[in-house]
Amino acid sequence: MNRARRARAWPALCLWALAGSAQAALQLEPGDESLTPPEAAATREFLAEVAERLPDAWAQALDRRIEVEWRGDLPAKVHGRATTRRLLLNRALLDDWMARPPSAGAQDPATRAALAAAIHELAHFYDRTPQGRLSGDPRLLDLAGWQVSPMRFGLRAGRNDFSDRSPDRYELESPSEFVAVNLEWFLLDPGYACRRPALYRYFAAEFGIPPPRATCAPGHVYVQVGSDASLPPMLQLDTERVYEVDYLFAEGNERPMSRWGHSMLRLVVCAPGRARGPDCRLDLPYHQVLSFRAFIDDVQISSWRGLTGSYPSRLYVLPLDQVIEEYTKIELRGLQSIPLRLEPAEIAALLERTAQLHWSYDGRYYFLSNNCAVETFKLLHDGVPRLAGQGLASMTPTGLLRNLEQAGIADRTVLEDHDEALRRGYYFEALSTRYQEMFDVARQSLDLPQARVQEWLDLDPRDREPWLERADLRASAALLLLEQAALRRQQLLSRDEIKRRFFGHDADRRADGAEAVVALQYVRRLESYLGRPATLLPDTGYGQPQVKEREALM
Amino acid sequence: MNRLTLTCALLACAFATPAFAAGSTGGTTAGAVGTSASSKTTTPGDKVVLQARDDAASFVASDGRIRGAQLESALRHLRERYAVAQHASDMQLAQAILAL
Repeated sequence: MNRARRARAWPALCLWALAGSAQAALQLEPGDESLTPPEAAATREFLAEVAERLPDAWAQALDRRIEVEWRGDLPAKVHGRATTRRLLLNRALLDDWMARPPSAGAQDPATRAALAAAIHELAHFYDRTPQGRLSGDPRLLDLAGWQVSPMRFGLRAGRNDFSDRSPDRYELESPSEFVAVNLEWFLLDPGYACRRPALYRYFAAEFGIPPPRATCAPGHVYVQVGSDASLPPMLQLDTERVYEVDYLFAEGNERPMSRWGHSMLRLVVCAPGRARGPDCRLDLPYHQVLSFRAFIDDVQISSWRGLTGSYPSRLYVLPLDQVIEEYTKIELRGLQSIPLRLEPAEIAALLERTAQLHWSYDGRYYFLSNNCAVETFKLLHDGVPRLAGQGLASMTPTGLLRNLEQAGIADRTVLEDHDEALRRGYYFEALSTRYQEMFDVARQSLDLPQARVQEWLDLDPRDREPWLERADLRASAALLLLEQAALRRQQLLSRDEIKRRFFGHDADRRADGAEAVVALQYVRRLESYLGRPATLLPDTGYGQPQVKEREALM
Repeated sequence: MNRLTLTCALLACAFATPAFAAGSTGGTTAGAVGTSASSKTTTPGDKVVLQARDDAASFVASDGRIRGAQLESALRHLRERYAVAQHASDMQLAQAILAL
């Protein structure tokens, strides 16, 4: 926030810099007797500028005299310390402050460093007052990234994995440092409201400050991971176009990694020009899926590494059509899509949290304690404060769905009428459930010799071909679907073969394929960038990407 | 000729509606989702028809019994965009999708 700066000259007799109005009680007093007159004057000027920037509520909460001392004995990297009664600041900050050109503005490095150091320490003072206590507030911890853990009976994680695109990684040190660092940025950076909107609103509410005038880049942007190269790499999502959020549950199968199913969220996005409403549910090509997955750069999934957190946990934003294809047509697993009862403002908050997570989260995947269900739970918990108190935590996708249902947030009745659920997109059945029926249609019409669909699929394609030419409309539609299935199966097999050949344990020995290996490794690296979007925008800024950064991504 | 144009042509053939021939190719340049996109891309609206092929095959083979959401989405898209499709039956449209 930018307050109008008052005149620099401070009445010579007033040694105390008073914050805001006459009744404000914070007194910042130079505590060092040995300052030369110019140093003392610069100190008074500096303290006046600090006090001027503090919100009234903050200054009033401190309600006492704080001695400010310039110290030459602090370690070089330490700008300041907050003791019980005294605020110690690194002497070098004063020297730099005094050496500034007269025209130095608020963004001058020396100005900023000195102000930031004082605000940081005053934030620690504020955090210790009964009115403050921000670093112990569960909501602050949610927003900051010390997330609750279902494995630990609601205790919070000891580490903060929201480490990408941080303005200052010292904020990850502890919740109290997080508060102090973020209050620096809150008061000194006009862009904070756009880059960390949820935290901005939190602090603004804390200090009773009106919402910002800053105009932020619209909507939220995500890096899209699609198998379809024709999609734009950047996805811009406008909150107003999201009608509903569904819990999207991929049913399990017999494979060990998929036995418990997979939990995701589906964003029901309306097509351009369609008013937000139930009609948006059929705008399938616009719907997006939020899916937490372990990013695995190995061919073989190692259960051991999965258990011990060797894989990064990534939030992928995927087109719904791609998810339907992957689960129902390739993995042959059904998808249940259960609407969640959320208010529009809650959906907006959830999307904002999703964007924060997308750009800054770099967590680890633990097969038991930090899997897709836990991540999805945490996203709901942190994104929508109302849900934080509902006891939703679960370590399994089905458990989370059950808890959502018991809390009255998920409504599974949409699945009761199977045909209707299929038609309206509440259930996407595994394509394999149709295989036998398709085959029976063709068998009756063509008098095929095979009895089971599997025998048909096991035939050499050349042996199936003559039958296709003889089929009538219904039978050829049925056989077309089965041919698609056979094709997907072949594609899957050849993809596995490529992976095994180029990334398997014996890949190194295949020198003849060196170029192919390089190409495929490049693809893998690209995939990992897409899983960790912050790597696409190194050192351009923190938090949510703004206009120039978005242009760079286009 | 992109594939959607082909659908239109097929529909136009199938229903012999000359007025339709002047219809749009369906190539809006709006982005994937939201207000902007990088450049020329297939729009999701066009892709919906291609995504519906398995559902369309199931629908035709089951004589209209199996109706998946991807088919419903494609049927609605065709009817919203092409006048000729408004007068076609679900079965006719499903068959046209399969012919792609």
